[in-house]
Amino acid sequence: MTLVKFEHVNLHYPALERPILKDINYTVQKGDCVVVLGANGSGKSSLLKLLDGRYKMNSGKILLHDKDIHTISTCTRAHCIHTLTQNAQDNLFLSLTIFENYQLMIKRQGHDPIDSLADYLHTFNPNLSHKLDVLVARLSGGEQQALALALAVLYPPEILLLDEHTSALDPKTAEHLMALTARIIHERHITALLTTHNVNHALAYGDRILALKEGVVHDCIESDDKKDLTAEALLARCY
Amino acid sequence: MIALLLATLTQSLTLIPLALGINLSYTILRATDMTIDGSFVLGAGVFAQLVTMGFSPYLAFAAALLCGALAGSFTAFLQNGGKVDPLLAGILSSFILYSVNMAIMGRPNINLLTTPTLFSTAFGHGNVLGWLSVALLIGLFVIAFYALLQSRLGLCLRAFGDNAALLSRQGYNVTYLRISGFGLNNLLAAASGAITAQIIGYADIGMGVGMTLVGIGAIILGQHILLPFIKKHYLRAGSELLAAFIGIALYFFILNSLLRLNINPIYLKLLLGVLLALFLRTATQKTRLS
Repeated sequence: MTLVKFEHVNLHYPALERPILKDINYTVQKGDCVVVLGANGSGKSSLLKLLDGRYKMNSGKILLHDKDIHTISTCTRAHCIHTLTQNAQDNLFLSLTIFENYQLMIKRQGHDPIDSLADYLHTFNPNLSHKLDVLVARLSGGEQQALALALAVLYPPEILLLDEHTSALDPKTAEHLMALTARIIHERHITALLTTHNVNHALAYGDRILALKEGVVHDCIESDDKKDLTAEALLARCY
Repeated sequence: MIALLLATLTQSLTLIPLALGINLSYTILRATDMTIDGSFVLGAGVFAQLVTMGFSPYLAFAAALLCGALAGSFTAFLQNGGKVDPLLAGILSSFILYSVNMAIMGRPNINLLTTPTLFSTAFGHGNVLGWLSVALLIGLFVIAFYALLQSRLGLCLRAFGDNAALLSRQGYNVTYLRISGFGLNNLLAAASGAITAQIIGYADIGMGVGMTLVGIGAIILGQHILLPFIKKHYLRAGSELLAAFIGIALYFFILNSLLRLNINPIYLKLLLGVLLALFLRTATQKTRLS
Protein backbone atom coordinates (compact mmCIF):
# COMPACT_ATOMS: atom_id res chain seq x y z
CA MET A 1 0.00 0.00 0.00
CA THR A 2 1.40 3.38 -1.02
CA LEU A 3 1.87 5.74 1.91
CA VAL A 4 3.98 8.57 0.49
CA LYS A 5 4.44 9.59 -3.11
CA PHE A 6 6.86 12.24 -4.35
CA GLU A 7 5.77 13.55 -7.76
CA HIS A 8 8.14 15.80 -9.75
CA VAL A 9 9.30 17.50 -6.58
CA ASN A 10 11.64 20.47 -7.04
CA LEU A 11 13.29 22.56 -4.37
CA HIS A 12 15.76 25.40 -4.77
CA TYR A 13 17.09 28.22 -2.64
CA PRO A 14 17.18 31.66 -4.28
CA ALA A 15 20.84 32.09 -3.25
CA LEU A 16 21.99 28.86 -4.91
CA GLU A 17 22.34 28.29 -8.64
CA ARG A 18 21.93 24.52 -8.43
CA PRO A 19 18.55 23.15 -7.27
CA ILE A 20 18.58 21.29 -3.95
CA LEU A 21 16.16 18.69 -5.29
CA LYS A 22 15.30 18.23 -8.94
CA ASP A 23 12.34 16.28 -10.30
CA ILE A 24 12.15 13.73 -7.50
CA ASN A 25 9.75 10.87 -8.15
CA TYR A 26 9.61 8.15 -5.54
CA THR A 27 7.05 6.02 -3.75
CA VAL A 28 7.26 4.80 -0.17
CA GLN A 29 5.18 1.76 0.74
CA LYS A 30 3.57 1.38 4.16
CA GLY A 31 5.87 -0.46 6.55
CA ASP A 32 9.00 0.16 4.45
CA CYS A 33 12.29 1.28 5.90
CA VAL A 34 13.82 3.37 3.12
CA VAL A 35 17.45 4.37 3.52
CA VAL A 36 18.41 7.57 1.70
CA LEU A 37 22.10 7.66 0.78
CA GLY A 38 24.15 10.38 -0.81
CA ALA A 39 27.09 12.70 -0.33
CA ASN A 40 26.85 15.87 1.76
CA GLY A 41 24.65 18.38 -0.05
CA SER A 42 22.94 15.74 -2.16
CA GLY A 43 19.52 16.72 -0.77
CA LYS A 44 18.86 13.86 1.72
CA SER A 45 17.90 16.05 4.67
CA SER A 46 15.95 18.45 2.44
CA LEU A 47 13.82 15.55 1.21
CA LEU A 48 12.88 14.74 4.81
CA LYS A 49 12.30 18.40 5.67
CA LEU A 50 9.81 18.66 2.80
CA LEU A 51 7.89 15.76 4.25
CA ASP A 52 7.68 17.10 7.83
CA GLY A 53 6.84 20.61 6.65
CA ARG A 54 10.05 22.40 7.63
CA TYR A 55 10.70 23.19 3.96
CA LYS A 56 8.21 24.09 1.25
CA MET A 57 8.82 22.77 -2.25
CA ASN A 58 8.87 25.08 -5.27
CA SER A 59 6.96 22.74 -7.53
CA GLY A 60 5.65 19.17 -7.63
CA LYS A 61 3.53 17.25 -5.19
CA ILE A 62 3.96 15.08 -2.14
CA LEU A 63 1.02 12.80 -1.49
CA LEU A 64 0.38 11.27 1.90
CA HIS A 65 -2.39 8.66 1.76
CA ASP A 66 -3.12 10.05 -1.72
CA LYS A 67 -3.75 13.50 -0.22
CA ASP A 68 -1.63 16.53 -1.12
CA ILE A 69 0.53 17.17 1.94
CA HIS A 70 -0.20 20.92 1.70
CA THR A 71 -3.90 20.27 2.32
CA ILE A 72 -3.18 18.34 5.54
CA SER A 73 -3.23 20.49 8.70
CA THR A 74 -0.02 21.00 10.68
CA CYS A 75 -1.65 19.26 13.62
CA THR A 76 -2.62 16.14 11.64
CA ARG A 77 0.81 16.04 10.03
CA ALA A 78 2.43 16.30 13.47
CA HIS A 79 0.44 13.27 14.66
CA CYS A 80 1.37 11.32 11.55
CA ILE A 81 5.05 12.20 11.08
CA HIS A 82 7.83 12.39 13.65
CA THR A 83 11.39 13.48 12.92
CA LEU A 84 14.61 12.69 14.75
CA THR A 85 17.81 14.46 13.79
CA GLN A 86 21.39 14.29 15.06
CA ASN A 87 20.86 17.52 17.06
CA ALA A 88 19.26 16.96 20.45
CA GLN A 89 17.71 20.46 20.37
CA ASP A 90 15.71 19.43 17.26
CA ASN A 91 14.20 16.45 19.09
CA LEU A 92 13.78 17.44 22.74
CA PHE A 93 13.15 20.41 25.02
CA LEU A 94 16.58 20.66 26.62
CA SER A 95 15.62 22.98 29.50
CA LEU A 96 12.81 20.66 30.60
CA THR A 97 13.08 17.38 32.49
CA ILE A 98 12.57 13.94 30.98
CA PHE A 99 9.17 13.74 32.66
CA GLU A 100 8.12 17.15 31.32
CA ASN A 101 9.15 16.15 27.79
CA TYR A 102 7.03 13.02 28.21
CA GLN A 103 4.08 15.09 29.49
CA LEU A 104 4.24 17.36 26.44
CA MET A 105 4.29 14.30 24.19
CA ILE A 106 1.26 12.55 25.74
CA LYS A 107 -0.77 15.75 25.99
CA ARG A 108 -0.13 16.52 22.35
CA GLN A 109 -1.26 13.02 21.39
CA GLY A 110 -4.26 13.15 23.72
CA HIS A 111 -3.41 9.68 25.09
CA ASP A 112 -3.58 8.39 28.65
CA PRO A 113 -0.27 8.25 30.53
CA ILE A 114 1.55 4.91 30.45
CA ASP A 115 1.75 2.79 33.62
CA SER A 116 5.43 3.27 34.31
CA LEU A 117 7.56 5.70 32.37
CA ALA A 118 10.68 4.46 34.18
CA ASP A 119 10.10 0.87 33.01
CA TYR A 120 9.35 2.01 29.48
CA LEU A 121 12.53 4.09 29.26
CA HIS A 122 14.60 1.28 30.79
CA THR A 123 14.21 -0.74 27.59
CA PHE A 124 15.78 2.11 25.60
CA ASN A 125 18.54 3.06 28.03
CA PRO A 126 18.72 1.78 31.63
CA ASN A 127 20.23 5.09 32.82
CA LEU A 128 17.11 7.03 31.83
CA SER A 129 14.79 5.18 34.19
CA HIS A 130 16.13 6.88 37.32
CA LYS A 131 16.62 10.33 35.78
CA LEU A 132 13.01 11.36 35.22
CA ASP A 133 13.51 14.65 37.12
CA VAL A 134 16.81 15.48 35.42
CA LEU A 135 17.02 18.24 32.81
CA VAL A 136 17.48 16.81 29.34
CA ALA A 137 20.42 19.18 28.78
CA ARG A 138 22.32 17.31 31.51
CA LEU A 139 22.00 13.89 29.80
CA SER A 140 24.76 12.45 27.63
CA GLY A 141 24.36 12.51 23.84
CA GLY A 142 23.52 8.80 23.78
CA GLU A 143 20.92 9.18 26.51
CA GLN A 144 19.37 12.16 24.74
CA GLN A 145 19.01 10.28 21.45
CA ALA A 146 17.66 7.17 23.21
CA LEU A 147 15.11 9.37 25.00
CA ALA A 148 14.17 11.11 21.75
CA LEU A 149 13.59 7.72 20.12
CA ALA A 150 11.62 6.44 23.13
CA LEU A 151 9.32 9.46 23.07
CA ALA A 152 8.99 9.38 19.28
CA VAL A 153 7.66 5.82 19.32
CA LEU A 154 5.69 6.07 22.58
CA TYR A 155 2.53 6.22 20.48
CA PRO A 156 4.04 5.18 17.14
CA PRO A 157 3.70 7.71 14.33
CA GLU A 158 2.86 6.43 10.85
CA ILE A 159 6.14 7.74 9.49
CA LEU A 160 9.40 8.16 11.34
CA LEU A 161 11.98 10.39 9.68
CA LEU A 162 15.51 9.67 10.92
CA ASP A 163 17.97 12.28 9.70
CA GLU A 164 21.41 10.87 10.58
CA HIS A 165 20.13 10.54 14.14
CA THR A 166 23.14 8.49 15.26
CA SER A 167 25.88 10.45 13.49
CA ALA A 168 26.84 12.61 16.50
CA LEU A 169 27.37 9.58 18.76
CA ASP A 170 30.43 7.43 19.44
CA PRO A 171 30.56 4.24 17.26
CA LYS A 172 29.45 1.86 20.03
CA THR A 173 26.50 3.99 21.14
CA ALA A 174 25.56 4.71 17.52
CA GLU A 175 25.59 1.01 16.70
CA HIS A 176 23.42 0.17 19.73
CA LEU A 177 20.92 2.95 18.97
CA MET A 178 20.71 2.03 15.30
CA ALA A 179 20.00 -1.62 16.12
CA LEU A 180 17.38 -0.54 18.66
CA THR A 181 15.77 1.82 16.13
CA ALA A 182 15.61 -0.92 13.49
CA ARG A 183 14.09 -3.39 15.96
CA ILE A 184 11.39 -0.94 17.04
CA ILE A 185 10.58 0.08 13.46
CA HIS A 186 10.02 -3.53 12.48
CA GLU A 187 8.21 -4.58 15.67
CA ARG A 188 5.80 -1.66 15.51
CA HIS A 189 5.41 -1.66 11.72
CA ILE A 190 6.50 1.97 11.41
CA THR A 191 7.29 3.33 7.98
CA ALA A 192 10.70 4.97 8.14
CA LEU A 193 12.89 7.16 5.98
CA LEU A 194 16.46 7.07 7.22
CA THR A 195 19.36 9.19 5.99
CA THR A 196 22.87 7.96 6.74
CA HIS A 197 26.41 7.81 5.39
CA ASN A 198 26.91 4.36 6.83
CA VAL A 199 26.52 1.84 3.98
CA ASN A 200 26.63 -1.07 6.44
CA HIS A 201 23.58 0.36 8.24
CA ALA A 202 21.89 0.84 4.89
CA LEU A 203 22.43 -2.80 3.96
CA ALA A 204 21.57 -4.17 7.40
CA TYR A 205 18.50 -2.15 8.25
CA GLY A 206 17.00 -0.75 5.04
CA ASP A 207 14.31 -2.54 3.05
CA ARG A 208 15.00 -0.30 0.08
CA ILE A 209 17.71 2.21 -0.74
CA LEU A 210 17.29 5.53 -2.50
CA ALA A 211 20.52 7.18 -3.65
CA LEU A 212 20.58 10.92 -4.33
CA LYS A 213 23.33 12.75 -6.20
CA GLU A 214 23.36 16.53 -6.56
CA GLY A 215 19.63 16.70 -5.92
CA VAL A 216 18.47 14.06 -8.37
CA VAL A 217 17.55 10.39 -7.89
CA HIS A 218 20.77 8.60 -8.83
CA ASP A 219 19.75 5.03 -8.03
CA CYS A 220 16.89 3.04 -6.50
CA ILE A 221 17.78 -0.31 -5.01
CA GLU A 222 14.93 -2.67 -4.22
CA SER A 223 15.12 -5.28 -1.45
CA ASP A 224 15.81 -8.16 -3.88
CA ASP A 225 18.77 -6.34 -5.48
CA LYS A 226 20.10 -5.35 -2.07
CA LYS A 227 20.66 -8.95 -0.94
CA ASP A 228 23.63 -9.52 -3.26
CA LEU A 229 25.29 -6.17 -2.61
CA THR A 230 28.46 -5.73 -0.58
CA ALA A 231 29.19 -2.50 1.30
CA GLU A 232 31.93 -1.66 -1.24
CA ALA A 233 29.62 -2.25 -4.18
CA LEU A 234 26.91 -0.11 -2.59
CA LEU A 235 29.44 2.65 -1.92
CA ALA A 236 30.53 2.58 -5.55
CA ARG A 237 26.94 2.64 -6.77
CA CYS A 238 25.67 5.44 -4.57
CA TYR A 239 28.56 7.92 -4.19
CA MET B 1 17.79 51.49 58.99
CA ILE B 2 14.23 50.36 59.79
CA ALA B 3 12.87 53.26 57.73
CA LEU B 4 15.15 52.20 54.85
CA LEU B 5 13.98 48.57 55.04
CA LEU B 6 10.35 49.64 55.30
CA ALA B 7 10.65 51.90 52.26
CA THR B 8 12.34 49.06 50.35
CA LEU B 9 9.61 46.60 51.32
CA THR B 10 6.70 48.83 50.39
CA GLN B 11 8.22 49.93 47.07
CA SER B 12 9.12 46.35 46.15
CA LEU B 13 5.63 45.14 46.98
CA THR B 14 3.94 47.22 44.28
CA LEU B 15 6.39 46.02 41.64
CA ILE B 16 6.03 42.30 42.40
CA PRO B 17 3.42 41.72 39.64
CA LEU B 18 5.80 43.48 37.23
CA ALA B 19 8.63 41.19 38.37
CA LEU B 20 6.37 38.18 37.80
CA GLY B 21 5.58 39.45 34.30
CA ILE B 22 9.24 40.00 33.46
CA ASN B 23 10.04 36.57 34.90
CA LEU B 24 7.48 35.15 32.50
CA SER B 25 8.84 36.95 29.44
CA TYR B 26 12.56 36.88 30.22
CA THR B 27 13.03 33.54 32.03
CA ILE B 28 10.20 31.41 30.68
CA LEU B 29 9.43 32.77 27.20
CA ARG B 30 13.09 33.85 26.83
CA ALA B 31 12.16 37.13 25.19
CA THR B 32 13.03 40.69 26.14
CA ASP B 33 9.60 42.28 25.99
CA MET B 34 9.98 46.06 25.95
CA THR B 35 6.18 46.48 25.74
CA ILE B 36 6.25 46.39 29.55
CA ASP B 37 7.51 50.01 29.70
CA GLY B 38 4.30 51.05 27.95
CA SER B 39 1.83 48.61 29.51
CA PHE B 40 2.94 49.66 33.04
CA VAL B 41 1.79 53.22 32.23
CA LEU B 42 -1.25 51.85 30.37
CA GLY B 43 -2.44 50.07 33.54
CA ALA B 44 -1.91 53.18 35.65
CA GLY B 45 -3.51 55.47 33.04
CA VAL B 46 -6.60 53.35 32.39
CA PHE B 47 -7.20 52.90 36.13
CA ALA B 48 -6.70 56.61 36.92
CA GLN B 49 -8.87 57.82 34.05
CA LEU B 50 -11.75 55.44 34.86
CA VAL B 51 -11.84 56.15 38.61
CA THR B 52 -11.70 59.91 38.02
CA MET B 53 -14.64 59.45 35.63
CA GLY B 54 -16.54 57.87 38.54
CA PHE B 55 -16.24 54.17 37.70
CA SER B 56 -15.80 51.62 40.49
CA PRO B 57 -12.11 51.02 41.37
CA TYR B 58 -12.71 47.28 40.92
CA LEU B 59 -14.03 47.79 37.40
CA ALA B 60 -11.21 50.24 36.66
CA PHE B 61 -8.63 47.72 37.88
CA ALA B 62 -10.15 44.93 35.76
CA ALA B 63 -10.13 47.26 32.73
CA ALA B 64 -6.47 48.12 33.38
CA LEU B 65 -5.55 44.41 33.41
CA LEU B 66 -7.52 43.78 30.23
CA CYS B 67 -5.83 46.69 28.45
CA GLY B 68 -2.41 45.36 29.52
CA ALA B 69 -3.28 41.92 28.12
CA LEU B 70 -4.41 43.52 24.85
CA ALA B 71 -1.14 45.45 24.57
CA GLY B 72 0.81 42.20 25.01
CA SER B 73 -1.39 40.44 22.47
CA PHE B 74 -0.65 43.24 20.01
CA THR B 75 3.09 42.63 20.47
CA ALA B 76 2.50 38.90 19.88
CA PHE B 77 0.51 39.76 16.77
CA LEU B 78 3.36 41.94 15.48
CA GLN B 79 5.76 39.03 15.95
CA ASN B 80 3.46 36.43 14.49
CA GLY B 81 1.44 38.14 11.77
CA GLY B 82 3.77 41.03 11.07
CA LYS B 83 6.90 38.82 11.22
CA VAL B 84 8.65 41.51 13.28
CA ASP B 85 11.65 40.51 15.40
CA PRO B 86 10.49 39.97 19.05
CA LEU B 87 12.72 42.70 20.51
CA LEU B 88 11.74 45.21 17.83
CA ALA B 89 8.05 44.27 18.20
CA GLY B 90 8.26 45.17 21.91
CA ILE B 91 10.04 48.47 21.23
CA LEU B 92 7.47 49.28 18.52
CA SER B 93 4.53 48.49 20.85
CA SER B 94 6.04 50.61 23.61
CA PHE B 95 6.50 53.45 21.11
CA ILE B 96 2.87 53.18 19.98
CA LEU B 97 1.65 52.89 23.58
CA TYR B 98 3.07 56.34 24.41
CA SER B 99 0.43 57.89 22.13
CA VAL B 100 -2.27 55.47 23.28
CA ASN B 101 -1.53 56.26 26.94
CA MET B 102 -1.54 59.97 26.26
CA ALA B 103 -4.87 59.66 24.43
CA ILE B 104 -6.39 57.64 27.31
CA MET B 105 -5.11 59.95 30.05
CA GLY B 106 -5.75 63.18 28.14
CA ARG B 107 -2.91 64.88 30.06
CA PRO B 108 0.60 63.89 31.24
CA ASN B 109 -0.53 63.02 34.76
CA ILE B 110 -3.71 62.33 36.72
CA ASN B 111 -3.97 62.98 40.45
CA LEU B 112 -5.54 60.18 42.50
CA LEU B 113 -5.05 61.61 46.00
CA THR B 114 -8.70 62.56 46.41
CA THR B 115 -10.20 59.73 44.36
CA PRO B 116 -11.42 56.44 45.88
CA THR B 117 -9.12 53.55 45.00
CA LEU B 118 -8.92 49.83 45.82
CA PHE B 119 -6.99 50.62 48.98
CA SER B 120 -8.34 54.02 50.08
CA THR B 121 -10.78 52.54 52.64
CA ALA B 122 -8.08 50.30 54.14
CA PHE B 123 -5.54 53.15 54.29
CA GLY B 124 -8.28 55.25 55.91
CA HIS B 125 -8.09 52.84 58.85
CA GLY B 126 -4.33 53.17 59.15
CA ASN B 127 -1.17 52.41 57.23
CA VAL B 128 -0.82 48.86 58.56
CA LEU B 129 -4.25 47.84 57.30
CA GLY B 130 -3.61 49.69 54.06
CA TRP B 131 -0.36 47.84 53.34
CA LEU B 132 -1.94 44.56 54.41
CA SER B 133 -4.65 45.03 51.78
CA VAL B 134 -1.95 45.75 49.17
CA ALA B 135 -0.04 42.65 50.27
CA LEU B 136 -3.24 40.58 50.05
CA LEU B 137 -3.85 41.63 46.44
CA ILE B 138 -0.20 41.02 45.51
CA GLY B 139 -0.43 37.62 47.26
CA LEU B 140 -3.38 36.69 45.04
CA PHE B 141 -1.32 37.54 41.96
CA VAL B 142 1.61 35.46 43.23
CA ILE B 143 -0.61 32.43 43.98
CA ALA B 144 -2.35 32.68 40.60
CA PHE B 145 1.01 33.01 38.82
CA TYR B 146 2.49 30.05 40.69
CA ALA B 147 -0.58 27.96 39.81
CA LEU B 148 -0.11 28.97 36.19
CA LEU B 149 3.54 27.86 36.20
CA GLN B 150 2.52 24.45 37.55
CA SER B 151 -0.32 24.04 35.02
CA ARG B 152 -0.33 22.53 31.55
CA LEU B 153 -0.27 26.04 30.06
CA GLY B 154 2.79 26.83 32.20
CA LEU B 155 4.60 23.77 30.88
CA CYS B 156 3.67 24.67 27.30
CA LEU B 157 4.93 28.24 27.83
CA ARG B 158 8.25 26.88 29.13
CA ALA B 159 8.47 24.58 26.11
CA PHE B 160 7.64 27.56 23.85
CA GLY B 161 10.56 29.50 25.32
CA ASP B 162 12.84 26.49 24.97
CA ASN B 163 12.03 25.54 21.38
CA ALA B 164 8.96 27.01 19.67
CA ALA B 165 9.78 25.29 16.35
CA LEU B 166 9.77 21.82 17.96
CA LEU B 167 6.56 22.61 19.81
CA SER B 168 4.94 23.60 16.53
CA ARG B 169 6.20 20.40 14.86
CA GLN B 170 4.64 18.44 17.71
CA GLY B 171 1.26 19.91 16.76
CA TYR B 172 0.88 22.61 19.43
CA ASN B 173 -0.64 25.96 18.46
CA VAL B 174 2.32 28.29 19.05
CA THR B 175 0.36 31.38 17.97
CA TYR B 176 -2.04 30.82 20.88
CA LEU B 177 0.88 30.27 23.25
CA ARG B 178 2.67 33.42 22.08
CA ILE B 179 -0.47 35.52 22.60
CA SER B 180 -1.12 33.91 26.01
CA GLY B 181 2.45 34.47 27.18
CA PHE B 182 2.85 38.05 26.04
CA GLY B 183 -0.73 38.89 27.05
CA LEU B 184 -0.14 37.56 30.57
CA ASN B 185 3.17 39.29 31.13
CA ASN B 186 1.75 42.65 30.08
CA LEU B 187 -1.38 42.06 32.16
CA LEU B 188 0.92 41.71 35.17
CA ALA B 189 2.85 44.86 34.22
CA ALA B 190 -0.44 46.77 33.90
CA ALA B 191 -1.49 45.45 37.33
CA SER B 192 1.74 46.79 38.80
CA GLY B 193 1.16 50.14 37.10
CA ALA B 194 -2.39 50.42 38.44
CA ILE B 195 -1.32 49.44 41.99
CA THR B 196 1.67 51.85 41.91
CA ALA B 197 -0.56 54.71 40.78
CA GLN B 198 -2.88 54.08 43.73
CA ILE B 199 0.00 53.96 46.20
CA ILE B 200 1.89 57.04 44.97
CA GLY B 201 -1.35 58.93 44.32
CA TYR B 202 -0.99 59.72 40.62
CA ALA B 203 -0.53 58.21 37.18
CA ASP B 204 2.21 59.76 35.06
CA ILE B 205 3.01 59.31 31.37
CA GLY B 206 6.73 58.83 32.17
CA MET B 207 6.39 56.38 35.07
CA GLY B 208 7.21 53.31 32.94
CA VAL B 209 10.53 54.46 31.49
CA GLY B 210 13.23 51.84 32.13
CA MET B 211 10.89 49.43 33.95
CA THR B 212 11.80 46.48 31.68
CA LEU B 213 15.51 47.04 32.21
CA VAL B 214 15.09 47.43 35.97
CA GLY B 215 12.99 44.25 36.09
CA ILE B 216 15.37 42.18 33.99
CA GLY B 217 18.39 43.41 35.96
CA ALA B 218 16.66 42.64 39.26
CA ILE B 219 15.60 39.16 38.11
CA ILE B 220 19.08 38.24 36.87
CA LEU B 221 20.53 39.52 40.13
CA GLY B 222 18.02 37.57 42.23
CA GLN B 223 18.53 34.38 40.24
CA HIS B 224 22.29 34.53 40.61
CA ILE B 225 22.00 35.02 44.35
CA LEU B 226 19.41 32.30 44.93
CA LEU B 227 19.61 29.68 42.19
CA PRO B 228 23.05 28.22 43.14
CA PHE B 229 21.40 27.05 46.37
CA ILE B 230 18.48 25.37 44.60
CA LYS B 231 19.52 21.86 43.62
CA LYS B 232 16.13 20.21 43.23
CA HIS B 233 14.54 20.82 39.88
CA TYR B 234 10.97 20.60 41.19
CA LEU B 235 11.64 23.75 43.25
CA ARG B 236 12.37 25.67 40.04
CA ALA B 237 9.06 27.60 39.77
CA GLY B 238 9.09 28.66 43.43
CA SER B 239 12.76 29.62 43.37
CA GLU B 240 12.27 31.70 40.22
CA LEU B 241 9.53 33.67 41.97
CA LEU B 242 11.61 34.11 45.10
CA ALA B 243 14.57 35.23 42.98
CA ALA B 244 12.37 37.88 41.37
CA PHE B 245 11.32 39.18 44.82
CA ILE B 246 14.90 39.24 46.11
CA GLY B 247 16.11 41.05 42.99
CA ILE B 248 13.41 43.74 43.15
CA ALA B 249 13.94 44.25 46.89
CA LEU B 250 17.71 44.57 46.39
CA TYR B 251 17.18 47.13 43.61
CA PHE B 252 15.02 49.32 45.85
CA PHE B 253 17.39 48.85 48.79
CA ILE B 254 20.24 50.24 46.67
CA LEU B 255 18.03 53.04 45.29
CA ASN B 256 16.90 54.12 48.76
CA SER B 257 20.43 53.84 50.15
CA LEU B 258 21.70 56.16 47.40
CA LEU B 259 18.93 58.66 48.14
CA ARG B 260 19.83 58.59 51.84
CA LEU B 261 23.44 59.34 50.91
CA ASN B 262 22.12 62.61 49.44
CA ILE B 263 23.13 61.67 45.91
CA ASN B 264 21.88 64.26 43.42
CA PRO B 265 18.72 62.67 41.88
CA ILE B 266 19.96 63.76 38.44
CA TYR B 267 22.74 61.14 38.70
CA LEU B 268 20.54 58.44 40.24
CA LYS B 269 19.77 56.54 37.02
CA LEU B 270 23.40 56.91 35.92
CA LEU B 271 24.62 55.30 39.15
CA LEU B 272 21.93 52.61 39.12
CA GLY B 273 22.76 51.86 35.48
CA VAL B 274 26.46 51.45 36.29
CA LEU B 275 25.66 49.23 39.28
CA LEU B 276 23.27 47.15 37.17
CA ALA B 277 25.94 46.76 34.49
CA LEU B 278 28.42 45.59 37.15
CA PHE B 279 25.91 43.09 38.56
CA LEU B 280 25.06 41.77 35.10
CA ARG B 281 28.78 41.43 34.31
CA THR B 282 29.33 39.43 37.49
CA ALA B 283 26.27 37.32 36.72
CA THR B 284 27.50 36.57 33.19
CA GLN B 285 30.96 35.61 34.49
CA LYS B 286 29.40 33.28 37.08
CA THR B 287 27.30 31.63 34.36
CA ARG B 288 30.40 31.10 32.22
CA LEU B 289 32.29 29.58 35.14
CA SER B 290 29.42 27.25 36.05
